[in-house]
Amino acid sequence: MTARQVRRFVDDLLRGRRAKPFRAEETDLSELRAAIMLRTARPGSGAPSEEFLTGLHRRLAAELSDTESAGTPTPGGTRRRFIQGASIAAAATLGAIGEHALAGNRGGDISQGNPQGQATLSPTVGAWRTVAASADVPEGGVRAFDLGSVTGFVHRGDGRVAAVSGTCTHQGCRLLLDAAGRRLDCPCHNTTFAVSGQLLSHQLPVAPKALPQLAVREVHDAIQIYAPPTPG
Amino acid sequence: MARSLGWARERRLAPATTANEGGGSSDASRLRLVSDKAYADWEAVYRDNVDRIYRLMFVKVGNRADAEDLTAEVFLAALGPLRVSASVGEVRAYLLATARTVLAGYWRRTLGRPVTWIEQDYPAPADGAATASDAPARAEAVLAALPEQYRRILRLRFLDSCSLKEAAAELGVSVANAKVLQHRALRRAAQLCEEEQGR
Repeated sequence: MTARQVRRFVDDLLRGRRAKPFRAEETDLSELRAAIMLRTARPGSGAPSEEFLTGLHRRLAAELSDTESAGTPTPGGTRRRFIQGASIAAAATLGAIGEHALAGNRGGDISQGNPQGQATLSPTVGAWRTVAASADVPEGGVRAFDLGSVTGFVHRGDGRVAAVSGTCTHQGCRLLLDAAGRRLDCPCHNTTFAVSGQLLSHQLPVAPKALPQLAVREVHDAIQIYAPPTPG
Repeated sequence: MARSLGWARERRLAPATTANEGGGSSDASRLRLVSDKAYADWEAVYRDNVDRIYRLMFVKVGNRADAEDLTAEVFLAALGPLRVSASVGEVRAYLLATARTVLAGYWRRTLGRPVTWIEQDYPAPADGAATASDAPARAEAVLAALPEQYRRILRLRFLDSCSLKEAAAELGVSVANAKVLQHRALRRAAQLCEEEQGR
């Protein structure tokens, strides 16, 4: 029976939430469709938000910026990428595909910083836990910590202590501090982050998010992180 | 082949006359322009189309978060393969074709069946104007055909963004009753939509 899931779908729709997956029956479809139609008839609900438009623009700029053939910077900082389009099925609807394509590799530097905002880890239940002595993290210094429930890196820049998650936002691989202590490297797909959590470079089709920040404080010469309890 | 040229530099030959592709415009008499202009760069493509694609996706899925994801997916998939010289009309048709594929994939992932789709004959706009959604008109038509209480609960919940509690208070029934009422009203509205479509 899918009646309950259909109700949940409608409920999510009315609350402005994403659709949650379930196996819909053929007989559910008319109701789902009617709900979507009624919901989208709500006045003023169809327009995209400014925030989304700018965010996607930035993401696309990052995506497209890296593959122009080397040594030919384009004025205005916007470079273009064209790959052979014939492999895309949808392109067939267009008829002829031009030859003016540049094969390009993906990935590269992102100068604008993280395309998405940087979240702060906020556990429902948490406590301040010491991860290092203040003296262990001098100006410019970075130090890894592992609290069991959370791993991450604390660093001090401009006199301020900050901490980020040590888990790659793409597929959850554990990040490693590079030898120079300036950068966090993902062993899985060569993604790199700044110690502040900002995405530096990646080779993925879609830019992964910046690393979540962790709440951090310094008391009695100890650096503490607000983190959930360690399991077990 | 490292040609770093702008999108607008060349105009598009119609498929029937592509034989001397690359020969430039020396044989100008044989050129037939598909559209009167091309986009200057990908940002022009984005500016001109993102609003329309988003609105289309929103109408098809009904929630902002998914509509945003799908819009992003369309542009990420489509901007790469777009060729330098594609005309405005071709780019719009290409984005629409990509949107069709992306939407189909979304329903396959979430509910396993195509709940909504982009019709093959969905009009690619001739000018920059956004295609207005027909949802408000359709909703009004369906609501008008419903019994009073059904119409009121659906209007309160779907169009006026009332919570179940608020809607129940407005209708003078219990929350549990409002829930049942909404459920039945939606089912009846769905039947009406089906009949309307089948006509």
